[in-house]
Amino acid sequence: MNYLTNIWHVTKRELKQMFARPLYMFASVGVMLLSTFFFLTLMRGGAAEKMPVAVVDKDQTSISRRLCHEMQATPSVDIRLITSSFSEAREAMQQGEIYGILVLPENFYDNLVAFKRPQVDFYVTNAYTVGGNTAYKQLLTMVNLTSGAFQREVLRKKGMSDDVIMHRIQPLTIEAHMIANPWGNYSVYLVSTILPGILGLICLMLTIFAIGYELKMQTSREWLHTAGNNYMVAMIGKLIPYTFVYLILGVACHIILFRFAGFPVYGSHVRLMFALLLFIFAMESMGVFLIGCLPTLRDAISIGALYAMLGFSLSGFTYPASNMLPAVQALCYLEPLRHYYLIYVNEALMGAPTINSLTPALALCGFMLLSITTAPRLHKALVYQNYPLK
Amino acid sequence: MKHFFSLQWLRIKETGIVFTDELKRIFRDPGVLVIFIVATLVYPFLYKAIYWNEQIKDIPVAVVDCSQSPESREFLHHWAAAPDVKLSSYCTSMAEAEHLLRDQEVHGIIYFPYDYAAQLADPFGQAHISLYCDMSSFLYMKAIYLSANQVMLESMRNIQIDRYEQMGMDQEFAWSLVQDAPYTETALFSPTGGYGSFLIPAVLVLILHQTLFFGICMLGGTAREENKQLYIMPGRRRSYSVLRITIGRAAAYFIIYFALAAILLVALPRLFDIPHVGRPEDLLRFIVPYILATIFFSMCVSVTIRNRESGMVLLISSSLIFLFMAGISWPKEMIPDAWRYLSWFIPYTWGAHGFIHMSSMGASLWTTRTEYIALWILAGGYFLIACILLFVTGWWHERKKTLKRI
Repeated sequence: MNYLTNIWHVTKRELKQMFARPLYMFASVGVMLLSTFFFLTLMRGGAAEKMPVAVVDKDQTSISRRLCHEMQATPSVDIRLITSSFSEAREAMQQGEIYGILVLPENFYDNLVAFKRPQVDFYVTNAYTVGGNTAYKQLLTMVNLTSGAFQREVLRKKGMSDDVIMHRIQPLTIEAHMIANPWGNYSVYLVSTILPGILGLICLMLTIFAIGYELKMQTSREWLHTAGNNYMVAMIGKLIPYTFVYLILGVACHIILFRFAGFPVYGSHVRLMFALLLFIFAMESMGVFLIGCLPTLRDAISIGALYAMLGFSLSGFTYPASNMLPAVQALCYLEPLRHYYLIYVNEALMGAPTINSLTPALALCGFMLLSITTAPRLHKALVYQNYPLK
Repeated sequence: MKHFFSLQWLRIKETGIVFTDELKRIFRDPGVLVIFIVATLVYPFLYKAIYWNEQIKDIPVAVVDCSQSPESREFLHHWAAAPDVKLSSYCTSMAEAEHLLRDQEVHGIIYFPYDYAAQLADPFGQAHISLYCDMSSFLYMKAIYLSANQVMLESMRNIQIDRYEQMGMDQEFAWSLVQDAPYTETALFSPTGGYGSFLIPAVLVLILHQTLFFGICMLGGTAREENKQLYIMPGRRRSYSVLRITIGRAAAYFIIYFALAAILLVALPRLFDIPHVGRPEDLLRFIVPYILATIFFSMCVSVTIRNRESGMVLLISSSLIFLFMAGISWPKEMIPDAWRYLSWFIPYTWGAHGFIHMSSMGASLWTTRTEYIALWILAGGYFLIACILLFVTGWWHERKKTLKRI
């Protein structure tokens, strides 16, 4: 009973501090609102459809020019520049205006109608991955369109029906099924990990700050005193209000992503949301762990920022972890975001049975226990205040 | 007026004092040193380690071959030769393959229907292959789909030739029909075309931007905490001292960061073997406005920071926002106009594109003039704003002091 009242006293004290400084609300609710708004509006289209490309027309006949203009009129193609000089197109690429170049050789049309198979050249930039890939697909489409049209013309003259021609031109097709993201939507795949990641980042940084600030302002003894000199009571009482805010943000984040924005979930919403809450607890616990290891606010903040920012790369949601060096792969598992991402893949994309998510969920629980290991050290630091303040 | 032209108003000596004071402040503050120097030099190596393997190789794929025909086996034989994929399991049913995919044992499934060979044999038939891709990473999808597509195009041409030959055309003519305009593809600039070559340059520029940003915010917050009146020089008219303080402090950051930027943007790409086709002297010239714009931008923001550490807590997620807003991983053409216009005010946007154009794509400084000029404009603009903010905060502080005295 005594513990409970003490926890309540600490929580009351914390609430006062929380509302006395705008930082806490700005850094949690404000940043989360801004990030959600930013990432959901950034890729509203979701899929990169067409990128500006250039056509270098070395043929310079009226027919090649007409071909260029016809391609330009195709809605899936964005020809930004038609020129006769390759260096001009190359310079436009170096200025980031176009992502691909199609070169029509001299005597292109003459050779084409004479069945001499003129060679077309593509150049695609590699310096921008998404832009370059999209431009590549687009250039392929352009060539296949003209080539298919030409074939169709010849076959029609031979008296074939359009249906038969279609099968002649394309006797083999590949149907790509993109599991759980049939539109190939970049936004679904990026935002559904990045936003929880940002929330985790906030949890970690604010937890470090809330505890470290007591050390820095040398108010930690008073804090412990309010808690009846009990470390656990002090910690629980202090973290309750923040945890409350984070959990609300977590639930809101889940609802916004998977209900309002309509990101697919093939498995269970409850389990996925539960994983997000576990992840929040894990990041909070890592915050306590880090400030316990380095009981100086500035060191813990710097290391915390480094650790959490690396989580975005190490979670493996853009560049797969299985392709990293073995030593780096091991590091991935030190990031709670990696485990959340694994559960996300299981639940949202695969609809896999619960048992598949068990290991990552247990790992998240393991992070929660980590904060206990530094408790004696942090307790001492709170009592003796024997670390540098700046 | 004469004094003005002789740069009397700059008071080089006083600027020098501010400059050395600021350098002392930096080198005596372990927190700032960690951000300015340790983080800036350690981060690039961490990212290089993470993105070490440029190519995605041997993605495990499950095969469900219901046709069990020589044709399907030939397709698989060609596909297995592609470095991207590895045909790791042969399944008898779709359910079995789906199971493997669900357990992440494989990242894709290729399915040949029963009538695959029959459709190919039928001169009017059309055969279908189904490909299921794991969308947990776009790179899986891209590698699986593109390599399968390549094999498909090749097989398709052979089938077309066969069919035309059956119709009695000669092979030469059949080829010219099937591929009337053969094409060559050349990926420009990055020989490996890997993910690291694409992302690391953007990250290097971001590291410079963000460490400078957080470091300056930390210094600003510290000054605020310790109540040091950075913005007041004793016995001088404030409007003059504002200029000298801003220039003096910026010069201190500049000499540190010019050296760091030279290491990160000129030396490291060579060490890491990521594309580095830019001319070093052009790059060094480009670095100048980038660092200056970032310094003055950070000085403007740091005015709002009240504590040493609160800047970091509040602004840490800006790193992700700046990265995506700049339009590098997600192309700038696909970003809503409002965000794109906003991104023009962030030095990182111009710095990253300029650096990629020069270092990865070999553009000259003249070709990169848009970014170069934009950075000078930002540097100038933020310099003026930083001066005004300093003047206003100084004025505000003195007013409060006088009010207290009364």
